[in-house]
Amino acid sequence: MSGAAGEPDPREQLGRLLEEDPADLYENAPMGYLSALPDGRIVKVNRTFCAWTGRSPDALLGARFQDLLTMGGRVFHETHVVPLLRMQGAVREIALDVVRMDGSVLPCLINAVELRNDDGTPVLMRATLFEATARRRYERELLTAQRAAEESEARSRTVQQVVSDMAAATSVADVAAVIVERGRAALRARGAALVLVEEEPAGGIDDLPRLHTEHAVGLPAELLHELQAAAIGQLALELEQGVRTIPLDERLRSVRPEIAGAMAAGGLSSLVLVPVTADSRRLGVLVLGLGAAGGDLISLDEPEAVTVTGPADVDLLWTLGRQAGQALERARLHEETARQAERSAFLLEAARLLAEAADVRETVERLAHLSVDRLADLCVIDLETEQGPVRATARHRDPTRQYLADEVRERHLSQRSATHPSTRAMQQGGTQWVRVVDEEFLAGVTSEDRHRQAIRAMELTSVVAVPLMADGRRLGVLTLATDRRRSSFTAADVEVAEQLGLQMSLVLAKAQRYELDVRTSHTLQANLLPPPPPEVAGLQMAVRYLAATQGVEVGGDFYDVVRLPDDQVALAVGDVVGHDITAAATMGQLNSVYRALLVDRPAPSAMIARLQASWSLLGLQRMATALFATLDPVTGQLRIASAGHLAPLLLTAGHAEFLPVAPSRMLGAPPAPAPAQEWAGVLTVGATLVLFTDGLVESRSADIDAGLAHLLAAAEAADTSDPDELCDRLLDALTGAHRADDIALLVLTRTA
Amino acid sequence: MGSVLARNCVTVSGVPSGRPMVFAHGFGCDQAMWRFVAPDFEVDHRVVLFDHVGAGSSDLSAYDPEKYGSLRGYARDIVEICRELELENVVLVGHSVSAMIGVLALQEAALQDAPELFGALVMVGPNPRYVDDGDYVGGFSRADILGLLDALDSNHLGWSAQMAPVIMGAHPDQPELAEELTNSFCRTDPDIARQFARVTFLSDNRADLADIAVPTLVLQCSEDVIAPDVVGRYVHDAVAGSTFTKLSAVGHVPHLSSPEETTAAIRAFLTG
Repeated sequence: MSGAAGEPDPREQLGRLLEEDPADLYENAPMGYLSALPDGRIVKVNRTFCAWTGRSPDALLGARFQDLLTMGGRVFHETHVVPLLRMQGAVREIALDVVRMDGSVLPCLINAVELRNDDGTPVLMRATLFEATARRRYERELLTAQRAAEESEARSRTVQQVVSDMAAATSVADVAAVIVERGRAALRARGAALVLVEEEPAGGIDDLPRLHTEHAVGLPAELLHELQAAAIGQLALELEQGVRTIPLDERLRSVRPEIAGAMAAGGLSSLVLVPVTADSRRLGVLVLGLGAAGGDLISLDEPEAVTVTGPADVDLLWTLGRQAGQALERARLHEETARQAERSAFLLEAARLLAEAADVRETVERLAHLSVDRLADLCVIDLETEQGPVRATARHRDPTRQYLADEVRERHLSQRSATHPSTRAMQQGGTQWVRVVDEEFLAGVTSEDRHRQAIRAMELTSVVAVPLMADGRRLGVLTLATDRRRSSFTAADVEVAEQLGLQMSLVLAKAQRYELDVRTSHTLQANLLPPPPPEVAGLQMAVRYLAATQGVEVGGDFYDVVRLPDDQVALAVGDVVGHDITAAATMGQLNSVYRALLVDRPAPSAMIARLQASWSLLGLQRMATALFATLDPVTGQLRIASAGHLAPLLLTAGHAEFLPVAPSRMLGAPPAPAPAQEWAGVLTVGATLVLFTDGLVESRSADIDAGLAHLLAAAEAADTSDPDELCDRLLDALTGAHRADDIALLVLTRTA
Repeated sequence: MGSVLARNCVTVSGVPSGRPMVFAHGFGCDQAMWRFVAPDFEVDHRVVLFDHVGAGSSDLSAYDPEKYGSLRGYARDIVEICRELELENVVLVGHSVSAMIGVLALQEAALQDAPELFGALVMVGPNPRYVDDGDYVGGFSRADILGLLDALDSNHLGWSAQMAPVIMGAHPDQPELAEELTNSFCRTDPDIARQFARVTFLSDNRADLADIAVPTLVLQCSEDVIAPDVVGRYVHDAVAGSTFTKLSAVGHVPHLSSPEETTAAIRAFLTG
């Protein structure tokens, strides 16, 4: 079956093919061949490589291999290929791009070996190059897909992280911190800030929504300020545009030089604005500032190049913005609920405090403390008093800033301008709510630098002034303010302030009335009570007057010692019925009339008769009891008459007794048919006479007889004839810390 | 601190009593780069070789992107190695980017109040800023650097090690085939390689040159695309009292291509 003529033998055919010219094989092999000296100079190259690169053999011979590569390839050649060839004698599958004659790039894979002579010195490099366009494209796609997958994974990790962080955030501040940190990390931004639209418009419908920076990291304050200034009025427009990149370019420099300047100063190349929304409500913007490069490395972006945020990043930012919006709404609701509870607790506490109020001063001080603890950073209370307006207190939440409040306290209402909210509240009788404290406001309310600086230093953000009024009377103003550490007052806060003002007004009105009465009675009585007894030869005297400690009124007790022209001494002790201003006034009148009647030096009983006779004429409204006496200090002659008053006590040589002075009717009662009976006797040398009012012997727990017995015992036990000592010992023995009534005590010892 | 030596795969050889020489490899491979010059110095020096974290046999788990996001991170490692070995009066030989890392290591030693640590600096192919900047010529445009990062991605030597079996259709139970395909000396984690490339080629340490206070040798190669002549001259001018030696060695790695010339230049400098 073999050797059929004319049929070519397949083996022969194969044999012929395999006997090909090795030179042809080298020149036209389906791969590039080249040989180069150790310095890279090409000494041999095949036709295939020449054809691939579009260069003639002449052009290639003598050229350095590395010079045929792209710049990146050259560096890689120097840093990887050369060392590897030297160290391990061969490299495999190195991807390098060869630049063709026409400038286009031929992706290649290169295998190379280094030929060395016997002592190891390199002699020649032989390299084979495969065209790897398709393979490189495949690898590149793989790499791109891998990177995309990694980025996508990183993005979903970011979203997951944000969702989980948000779930844990209960306050607006927490939410802001999370979104700023995560947003910044996601875009590797140099800085980030969350700028929020104020919840409540700053006044009329024409007012633009105000913005405030809730949280910022790594962005210059100047930039945020400029952005907010620029955003006013355009905010809705800005938010409408979705995620937006603002590059630092010529356009920005010409249109918004301030923003461009602030960006340049902060080393930022672009800003990315991300709307923060909840459903359809626009709550604010997340501002991301992208730097030129990470750290202090040189930026790979050409100066002026625009960084573009990729669509995947835009989607991610959108998602972050929406997540942040929802979390913000939730946090606000949570905070509002908490604040509501806090407000109720605050008002309850204030009511309790006011109910316990002892005096105006203390009440005001405690209320101020409570206010700065719970409601505001600064609390100032102005009161209208008889002496005019008084700044009763100015309290700051932060003790280290109290000095600023003290500075403010020094100015009172009258020194402040008509535009000051406290002044306006007082004048207009209505609440004043200053939602924004700015330089203009400061200029309006302060008249001098020091004051302005103090207020500026407090960094106030909002002010509420509530007038304190009762029965149409203006009692004062409660002024509260927030600083930038606390969010500005909301309508609910203002309502709380008004409720507090109402509570305060009621208590103040009552307390002011009360204090006025007390002060008047004391003033009156202090003016009416006679001076210390005069010096009289042969007599030692002491007097005491003790006001009641319970109740607010002052009694109508009095005493009087007068030296008459004939060297006699007139004594009087009395007690007007009642414990109020009327009683005090009656006592004053009685004392004056008594003094006037003394001109005629009537006997004690005649004094009673005359006073009785003139009582209705004088228009005295209250009845009174009184003892009148005359004493001759030389002889000790003593005459005493009583108008319904307790008998005096006589202490002689350690023995005490009440003098049997028969009481006539009280002054102001219908006159008795007969004149009062006088007791007459001699006060011996060394004997002591004690005149007193019923406050000394009356107590709530025991009847008056027991009190009188107690007094006798105490006088004997006192064992002294010194009037001052005796006064003290009697008061010690008979009165406690609390006195239900006033006490007047007059003690007199005849010494010679 | 024993972990410092393991972290940087530190190898110590030569004469223990000799003046210590610490060789810092540049961007690309690892301490094996010094294989042709180290033996010469082992005769009369204490020779310390190491791998930067992320390269060669260093501890890859010690790679902290934050720390090594700046050349200072690498400089701190060199100081740590020297202190761990209790070296003094060290001749610090830095190739390429490590020449600049060396400059920063001098600063770091001064900061740590240990200026006696280093006694001389040899800068092999230094370039304080690769990217051109106004009148300053570093030899690279930003596009060039992007191209380099591209070339790195394409080669991804570490990555190729993983990909090789797939591409070659090799069976997973024939690992030796895959192993053979890799370029072992320059293998590293591709992400670290990329980061190191960024920090190498995007740093600007021109201002640090003036701080150098030890005798310094600038070794300049011929036809070096990575550290052109003009840059070497710039460094020489910026370092007061520095010695400038132009090598006939071509390329960027004279210690591999012309070890004798390199060794001789360093010796000439040291014997002064």
